Amino acid sequence: MHRPTPLALITLTLMTAALTGTAHAAPKKISGYGTLGVTNGKPGGTYTLPLGDSPQSLFYYGVIDNNLGLVSQQLFDGLLEFNLATYKLEPALAESYAVSNGGKTYTFKLRQGVKWSDGQTFDADDVVFTYRNIIMNPEARAGDAASFKLDGKQIEISRVNQYTVKFDLPRPSPAFLLQMRSFIMPKHKLLKFSEEGGAKPSDINGAWPTNAPESDVVGTGPFKLSNYTAGQKVTLVRNPNHWKVDAAGTRLPYLDRLEFLIIRDPQAQVAQFLAGNLDQLNISGAQFPDLKSKEVAGAPFKVMRSTALFGSPPFVAYNFDARDPALAKVFSDVRFRRAMQGALNRERIIDTVYNGLASLPGHGVAPINKEWYANTRPQLGSFNVTAAGQALDAMGLKSKNSAGIRLLPNGKPLEFDLTYGTDSSTYPAMATIIQSDFAKVGVKVNLRGILSSKLLSTGQSGDWEMILHAFGDQPDPELRKPIWQPGGALYYWHRSLQPARDGDKPNLAKMAAWEKDIYAIFDKAATTTNVGERKALYTRWQLLFAQNLPVTPIAKPENIGAVSNKYGNYVYNLGVIPGYNPVTLIYQK
Amino acid sequence: MLSYTIRRILGMIPTLLLISVVCFTVINLQPGSFLDQYLEDPRVTKETVQSITRQLGLDQPLWVQYLTWMKGIVTQGDFGYSFVNGRPVSSLIWERLGWTVFLALLTLLVSWVIAVPLGIYTALNRYTKRSAALNFFGYVSLATPDFLVALLLIALVLKWGGSNVGGLFSPQFIDAPWSAAKVLDLLNHLWIPMIAIGLEGVAGLMRQMRASMLDVVGQDYVRTARAKGLAERRVLWKHAVRNAVNPLISLAGLSLPSLISGTIIASIVLNLPTIGPFLYDSLLNKDQYVAMTLLLFSALLLLIGNLLSDLALAWADPRVRFE
Repeated sequence: MHRPTPLALITLTLMTAALTGTAHAAPKKISGYGTLGVTNGKPGGTYTLPLGDSPQSLFYYGVIDNNLGLVSQQLFDGLLEFNLATYKLEPALAESYAVSNGGKTYTFKLRQGVKWSDGQTFDADDVVFTYRNIIMNPEARAGDAASFKLDGKQIEISRVNQYTVKFDLPRPSPAFLLQMRSFIMPKHKLLKFSEEGGAKPSDINGAWPTNAPESDVVGTGPFKLSNYTAGQKVTLVRNPNHWKVDAAGTRLPYLDRLEFLIIRDPQAQVAQFLAGNLDQLNISGAQFPDLKSKEVAGAPFKVMRSTALFGSPPFVAYNFDARDPALAKVFSDVRFRRAMQGALNRERIIDTVYNGLASLPGHGVAPINKEWYANTRPQLGSFNVTAAGQALDAMGLKSKNSAGIRLLPNGKPLEFDLTYGTDSSTYPAMATIIQSDFAKVGVKVNLRGILSSKLLSTGQSGDWEMILHAFGDQPDPELRKPIWQPGGALYYWHRSLQPARDGDKPNLAKMAAWEKDIYAIFDKAATTTNVGERKALYTRWQLLFAQNLPVTPIAKPENIGAVSNKYGNYVYNLGVIPGYNPVTLIYQK
Repeated sequence: MLSYTIRRILGMIPTLLLISVVCFTVINLQPGSFLDQYLEDPRVTKETVQSITRQLGLDQPLWVQYLTWMKGIVTQGDFGYSFVNGRPVSSLIWERLGWTVFLALLTLLVSWVIAVPLGIYTALNRYTKRSAALNFFGYVSLATPDFLVALLLIALVLKWGGSNVGGLFSPQFIDAPWSAAKVLDLLNHLWIPMIAIGLEGVAGLMRQMRASMLDVVGQDYVRTARAKGLAERRVLWKHAVRNAVNPLISLAGLSLPSLISGTIIASIVLNLPTIGPFLYDSLLNKDQYVAMTLLLFSALLLLIGNLLSDLALAWADPRVRFE
């Protein structure tokens, strides 16, 4: 008897598929995460995670809410997702994509045979519906309409056939693919809240309130909603229609249930974790020693450290537009910012504030981000109070008053407020260290504490002199353009550059030469399709950043997570990063 | 009595109106806005913030916002709309009211059942060692904040290897149907909030009861009752305690608003699904209609509590008459 060879079998399958026309494309096989310690698991089990507060809605694009994001991440998928190890984009709900027309047309072939958790077929109509009515809808509170306008012109999405969609861009935009991680929503459930279904554009925000029936919330993700008890718990169960399998062909997710316990207080979360009611917890550097010593003493969990790309590196910024013109003049002087960097004791902050669980920061790009990071470590300088003092002397701030504080040219002492968040586990300690080190070079810092949640609005109001704040790193600098491009909406340390209306040209005349350079780099990189050229541009930006210090980055904290020994395949998960979801792989041993 | 009650109820209306104006002003005097959280997200443009401002009616002058809100309450019983949750305020409050009322009544009951006898005991046995110990315990628990007691209890339970360190149920029982096991699990969790929240009440009530009992036992009518040869038990319970308990009735009425704001921190630390943390969040986020409704509700409870305790006093104290 002669058996068909594997090759013949594959050909046969392909031919049948081609003949019947409704090819059931293979589910996506998740493999190659051996470096992350991922192995083949077994189905079953319940996994419990903490949630900082009750989700405000069940509709991801209706509210900006981290807790809803954490839940939504398990319920929905995007066209593309991140590789968990390399952060490279790879197909998800789209099976493949092609770029044509000089980088202006993106065509996505959708994975066939994907079903919503209620059994309906997922196809191009859902994708077009989601982008047109929700993501590009300026009235959707957590939509992303701005990213779908390039130079004031709208990106168009159209349906090519049942399993193909096409985006037409007004100009090339290499970072566009990153937007394709957005969660796709079911048209058959949301049509009635959309403009297409006859509602007002803003009505979409009212879809799926927290008291919506669980069966209404339908997704393609690994889990589906089973129960929501206000203020206490959100329960998800396995979506039997999910489209991923592991290396051995077992359908994912492994877990039967995923539970989120709503626990507001971080200390209460730790207590619940120690009591065994939570299976995984992200912790801070300050909590590390306590939990690690418990682990060493034989507690049934592991504390894991990882250098990750995401996460917010703190920085200090000086207000170039400070109310006091003498201070504004000093702050805008690059010699001052460089001198003060010498008085910034990064090592001490890493040791005492983060318990050593942090490393030196990059300039706008995390050092682990191999694709874009340029080594700017030499520009970070070293902590040297004498040299910092000499540098301040050299810029003409030599004379001091009787208290040892340097005097500004107008005779007033060099004294300013440092605004920081009092309710953070790291800012208060950091602010104190900065205050004491700056005093050593004759600069008096007064601490001004506010709620961390008010830092950004205070920054943007312009009512501050020096501020301690943090912005997250992202895989592609283009995604952080509003922060790092001079005149951008979040470039708040030099607010006078911002245009009156978003999208207008910023005030180029007021920019320093280096700011103009950075501005041009971001504009150029946004349309450059050649990867090498983009990399060269962003390398130049990072060097300009490091030399001119629009803000002074302090440290890049490590990510620390604790996980119960009962589970396998743990991969650190910062929180809501669309397209980055390792929970699918977790299994109960 | 009926006309008195009606007059009192009518009198509440202007008071509540005044309170609502004060609350609205105070909330709007707070710096920042509900939209601050949107600024943090690089996805959100100025145009989006403007359109949300318009959607929420925050671009209207303050007095228009206030009058629209008031009109909704008076004409449709509509208490407005939660910015944060995108749902009517009243349905959100109802969702959380059940456990709040349950916990508040239970702690009230527990603290009364413990405090009143202790107060009587310490008043009647003033100079004994046991009284001194009880008084000392009273002072200490009065001085210890409820959330601290909660944290201590959690630490103890963890040390003993327990898993009931917060919430009202173990995770697996939260959305399970009611059963004997679920009730048992509830009881296993309930003692921590009972002690943490109830203890402070016990100490205060006990001191109050002791003081008014001391006041009463020296009164003429108690001595007269004794002189008439009534049994000591009867003198004590019928004459002394019944009169001594009057001030406590007023106190009970005043404790109604603590349903909402009394145990915010303990509720956060113990992870209790009550209204307190909800009020706290709405104030932080400037979710103004939720905050105002809760504050107004709290004021209403205070007025109702006052009325109820006045009525109860009239019933308990023959000297109080309204006619």
